[in-house]
Amino acid sequence: MQVWRNSACLAITLVIALLTATGCGASRVSVTQQFPVPVVERLPVAMGIWLDEALLAHAHTEELESGKEWQIELGSAQTAMFQSLLAGMFERGEFVTGTTSANVDGVLVPSIEELQFSTPDQTRTDYFEVWIRYQMKLYGRNGELVADWPLTAYGQSNSRNFSMQGQEPALQAAALAACRDAMAFFIVQFRSIPAIQEWLAANGQGPSA
Amino acid sequence: MNPRLLDLLARCGAIAASLLVAGCVTSTVQEVREGNTGILATDSVVVLGRRTRPTNAETELDFVTCVSKNMGGGNDKINVIAEQEFLDAMFPWFEPRTAPVHTSDLPQLIGQAPLAERLNQIGLRYLVWIDGATQRTESSGSLTCSVSAAGAGCFGFLTWENDSSYEASIWDVRTGESVGKISSDAVGTSYMPAVIVPLPIIAPVRSSACSTMADQPKAFLQKKGSTADCSGDQKRLAARRTVHAAGSPPRISTTSPAKYSGSVAYHSCSPT
Repeated sequence: MQVWRNSACLAITLVIALLTATGCGASRVSVTQQFPVPVVERLPVAMGIWLDEALLAHAHTEELESGKEWQIELGSAQTAMFQSLLAGMFERGEFVTGTTSANVDGVLVPSIEELQFSTPDQTRTDYFEVWIRYQMKLYGRNGELVADWPLTAYGQSNSRNFSMQGQEPALQAAALAACRDAMAFFIVQFRSIPAIQEWLAANGQGPSA
Repeated sequence: MNPRLLDLLARCGAIAASLLVAGCVTSTVQEVREGNTGILATDSVVVLGRRTRPTNAETELDFVTCVSKNMGGGNDKINVIAEQEFLDAMFPWFEPRTAPVHTSDLPQLIGQAPLAERLNQIGLRYLVWIDGATQRTESSGSLTCSVSAAGAGCFGFLTWENDSSYEASIWDVRTGESVGKISSDAVGTSYMPAVIVPLPIIAPVRSSACSTMADQPKAFLQKKGSTADCSGDQKRLAARRTVHAAGSPPRISTTSPAKYSGSVAYHSCSPT
């Protein structure tokens, strides 16, 4: 009986120690899912996209007041996001390196300027929230800057949807929602920017052509 | 461990298991018909949670999944497209930023050739928007558990009330019009007394709301309802609910009929 008690106490101590250790570690979240190809009328232009190293390696690390450290890796999702946008939005598209390329009519260069997030503990709600501020630049055939505009995306996820899985999947879902929102906003916004409308018209395409 | 204590724990566990099925839920269902319905075997339906920003009352993912699954099951099942599959197939037009808020937004959306083509491919006939959430409205009591060398046990009493309030708006994609609304409000109080072993008496509020929100729209769509024969439909609705409300008799009241509406409240003690 004494042996049984000692074993039980040891098991409980180990479980508590394991839980404590897990609580102290940094939580890392990455968004690497596939993204859907948008269902839109394709613009009849050849578009290049340059994803620089800074964007592809983008990670946001923050230590909260509670002492818990979070890291959100968004860089790994960028290729899949822009691959889907290229496939759905433009007649032809390819990834390029640099602001000019002989094969395309224009080159789009996105960058992440800022990322913020909040947890349910901070906001006293059930939601994890993620904000991403992109800066988008479109260069013309000769490398001239055509348009430069900010793109702000937001995603939230209800932590109650992930109550049995811990906090990481909830924050991951919020980050994924923010990435999808960035894509949605880009699709809606792209054709409405005056400088881009003029550029499309100058290329013999677009609404003012 | 003391054999008597083990025996007591086993008995308490058996009682707890039997009490698990005894939660009580009071539900109120309201149905408003605004247009004719009917569904073919080739037609499909999608159930979507309302996630228009900003909101602090997003419909739970598992509730939407539960409603979809229930609508797509049973003898009178209909074709239901999974929410995420639909969102991906229609991307980006049903994302929180871009999703249509009113039926008046539908014609312009469906007017886009690629989207219309995709809708035809999947055979979508009806959109069912689910709005609402389950909230804990009240809780009280305390429960303490302790572990010692002699054994483990809990003592105390907890009680909490959950309120599931949901509304389903049904849109006909072909006509671009709203055909009806169904709302469900389910309230139930759960209890957990504990004398050594906690004995949970859980009121299945959300699962009750899920069943209602699946069964009602399914019947609503399959019924070839017409705004012209409202009174007949209303009678059939009340009669069917009486069967559902096994236990105590339902309290039927009619709300102001803009076109046709009916509501019913019932109390039932249903299994989890």
